[in-house]
Order: sequence, then C-alpha cells, then structure tokens
Amino acid sequence: MPEAAGQCPACLRGIRAGTRFCPGCGQTLGAAPAAAPPGGGARSAAAAQFAEHWGELKGVLWLFGLLLATSFVAGLVSRTDSSPWPSVVVTAVDAAIVLVAAGLRRRRLVFLFKVHAIGARRALELAAASLLFLVAMSGYFAVLKNLGVPFSSATESFARAGWPAWTMIVTISVLPALFEELAFRGVIQSSLERIFNARDAWLIQAALFSVLHLSPLVFPSHFLMGLWFGHLRMRSRSIYPGMLVHGAWNAFVVLEELAG
Amino acid sequence: MEKTWEIDAANTVKARFGAFGRKLVTVNGTEVHDTRKAGKKGGIAFPLPDGRRAAISVKGQLVGGPEIDLRVDGGLVVETPKAPIRCAACDTAAKPYDRFCGKCGQAMPTAEDYRAKKYVRHATGAIKWLAVLFLAFGVLMYFVTKGQADAALVKLQGAEPGASYTVGDETLGVEELRARLEWEPKGVLVVNLILAAIMAVLAWWGRRAPLPAVLIATAVYVVVIVFNAIADPATIGQGVIMKIIIIAFLAKGIKAALALRAANA
Repeated sequence: MPEAAGQCPACLRGIRAGTRFCPGCGQTLGAAPAAAPPGGGARSAAAAQFAEHWGELKGVLWLFGLLLATSFVAGLVSRTDSSPWPSVVVTAVDAAIVLVAAGLRRRRLVFLFKVHAIGARRALELAAASLLFLVAMSGYFAVLKNLGVPFSSATESFARAGWPAWTMIVTISVLPALFEELAFRGVIQSSLERIFNARDAWLIQAALFSVLHLSPLVFPSHFLMGLWFGHLRMRSRSIYPGMLVHGAWNAFVVLEELAG
Repeated sequence: MEKTWEIDAANTVKARFGAFGRKLVTVNGTEVHDTRKAGKKGGIAFPLPDGRRAAISVKGQLVGGPEIDLRVDGGLVVETPKAPIRCAACDTAAKPYDRFCGKCGQAMPTAEDYRAKKYVRHATGAIKWLAVLFLAFGVLMYFVTKGQADAALVKLQGAEPGASYTVGDETLGVEELRARLEWEPKGVLVVNLILAAIMAVLAWWGRRAPLPAVLIATAVYVVVIVFNAIADPATIGQGVIMKIIIIAFLAKGIKAALALRAANA
C-alpha cells in the first residue's frame, strides 16, 4: 500500500508522497485546481483521429488490393491465353479503378493537375537528374541481363499477335504511366500524407509501387523508380513530370525490345 | 497462468487459470469466484468491495493465446506487469492505475495502449520471422532446385544443338534452356535473399516506425503469395494456416500501430 501524502484538490484522489502531479487527473499539485482535468478531451480527439486515419488507410488498401487482384487475374489468364488481350483488359480495368479512386478524392488531388511555376533552373535540374536516373536504370537492367537474369518480354504477345507498334506504346508505355502515376503519386501518396509525414508517405508509396509489379527481382529497381517519381511529384507539386519520366522509361523498354 | 490487476490503491484482483479450465478469482485475497464451485461459463462478474462492478472476460483469438481482460464499470484495467511500469518521459516508477506520471505529469498509457503495443510487437515479431523464413526457404530451395536443374542439364548434354523444347508457352533452344536451367537455382536464392533483406530492413525500421514498416511488410507478403499463385496456383493452399496467421498478426499490427499513433499525437 503506497504511503498517502494528501489528496488532490481537483479529483480528491489520494496521492503518494513526493508527487508533483496528481496521477489520477494530472493536476499540478500546489496549484489552483484546473477548471477541467485533462485527459478526456485528448482521448476523444485521439479516437476521432484514429477513425479519420483508418478510413484513409482503408481507401489506400482498397485501391492497392483491387489493383493487385486485377494483376492476379491477368496473371492467371495469361497462363493459358498468350494473346495481348489480358494485358489490354487489365490496363482498362486498372484505369477504371484508378479513375474512380481519384474521382472520389478529386478536390484533394486537383493541385496535382496544375502546372506550378518552379523556375527554369530547378526544372532543368529535375530534367537532367531524370535523364541520369533513366540511364542508371537502363544500365542496371543491362547488368542483370548480362548476369543471365531472365526477364519476361512485355511486347512478345503483341508481336506474336501481329499488333502494330503503336498499340504497344499505348498499352505498355502511355496508359500505365498515366494511371500508375495517378494511383501511386496521386491517390496513394496524397492519402498517406494525411496519415504520415511527407517522408514516410513517400517511402510507403514507392514500396507499394514496387511490389505491385509482382516480381521480387525488380522490387529494388522499382522501389528506386517509385522514390524518384515521388520526388518529382513533391518537388514540382504536380503529377505531370512523373508521368512524363515514367512514360519515357516505359517507352524505352518497349523500343529496346522492338529493336532487339 | 496467473494475472494481476491493481485497480487502485485499495483493490487488487488476481485471477488464476488452472488446469482443466479452473478459474479462481480473488479480490484483495478474498475468493470471489471459483469455477470448481460455481461452474459458470463465459465472463466472470463480481462486485468490488466499494460496490463497483467488475468482470473478467476470456476471449479466444484467431492467433496467439486467449485475451483475458478485466473491466471495472465498463473501463478496461491495465494488467500489472512483472516489471514495474515506468514513465516513458522521466523513467519514474508508476502504478498501473496511474493516468499521469506523478513526477512529470506525462499521460501514462491506457490499457488500450498497452494492448495496441502488444499487437504491434507481435506484428514486428512476425516481420522478423518472415525474414528468417525467406532466408531459410531460399537456402533450402536453392539446393532442391539445383539438384533438379543439374539432373535436367545432364539430360540436355546429349541433345542435338538445333533441338527446341517447349516450356510452358515458350519454345526454347538448347542453349536458351541450358541458360534458364543454370539460372533457376540462383534465381530462387536471389529472390528469397531479396525478400529476406526487405523483411530484415523492415524489422529494423519497425522499431522506430512500426506503422509504415508493418504496412509495407504486409503488402510485400501478400504480393509474394499472389506472385507464387500466378506461377503455380497450387501454392495458394500450401501452408494456408501459416499464411492466415502471419497476415492476421500483421493486419492487427497495422490497426494497433495506427491507434497508438493517434493516442500519442
């Protein structure tokens, strides 16, 4: 049994010797009783914040889960159907999912569709760094291929079916760049920024972006890509630079395969 | 198993869960419930000496042991741990029923906070386990796959240089197939080493930032399951109980870490 040394003037709880604050209500002992003891308000604020953040996180998980589900179905279908149609259908379904998710948050995302003046020097720096990044990525994949790492071809099913090159550019390069940027740097990064600080939101969206490519061998490289596209979005406060660089990378992959 | 709750300076509840489902509850040393005598099932309700209503509930969990709670007038009570509770800000010893530190006035964690911390610990523990599992599985599968690939390579030695083989929906020449077979065991090892490294990094990060780490670990783990299922749909059913347990730990950890963030904000 603790040694009783008096009573709190605010909540009348017995207090132990040597305490400066009431362990029951937090009242500073020796001071005039506070009008309302702290605690209750903080708890209800915490509950409200939890509900808001949990709702936001559920939205992110739903979007990620739906995109993963379409990739899963497309993966299973492509086991038996070697035509480009599974790829086309999954691109269209993913686009619809992302558009709905973005539409539900359109007011919050509208700033990403504006072109903000960032200055010519900074724009040039970002463009040069993006170019360097793309060169580094292509070098990384060239090294992996030289080491004998097999990569599945993105264009093979299109070429086998005799589809023209522009269909590959649109389906493999342009549309994924637009909708992946809208999903990850738009909806997901913006939602995560409401829960986490900007750095954690940036890291998480990059991680989710890399794992959704469904190949552990490209997790590290696509994590770096997610970081770079997220960085572009944060520096430019716009989604367009990321779309441009992402599209350029996808186009490079398609053209390299077509040339090879 | 024995549990103790110091409700306040005057009331201490002890519950002993013995063999054959026996539950003995005492308040300040006085027996208030004994299943051997009462034979009740479900929650154990009893009054405290000051008239407040107390109830102990035992809830079975999908994963882990049962959750045993004491509620007094509906409010969850902090269980008295073996090591004394200390203030996170000034390290002063505190009682489980203290809502504020007596020395610095810092708000002490509630029973819900302690529970959330436990779930987060379980989730970060699951990430560590995943790191070890991916590492062990990678090494094991490397040797298994190498044995199979070596046997196939021996068969391939006698093949005509111009021969072609159909693997899945692909047609491969001898050299392509040889390169593929040589890569196969290395690929299994590299993929699992990458996953083990990711989980190890997340386990380390989870000590400072549990919510992002658990969130990413869950995404990675689910994607690995999906990736394997695409490659071989039969893998969905393999180790399904283990998969459910790990995902349940991680999902509970996400919600608990979010609740802790909100409480500490």
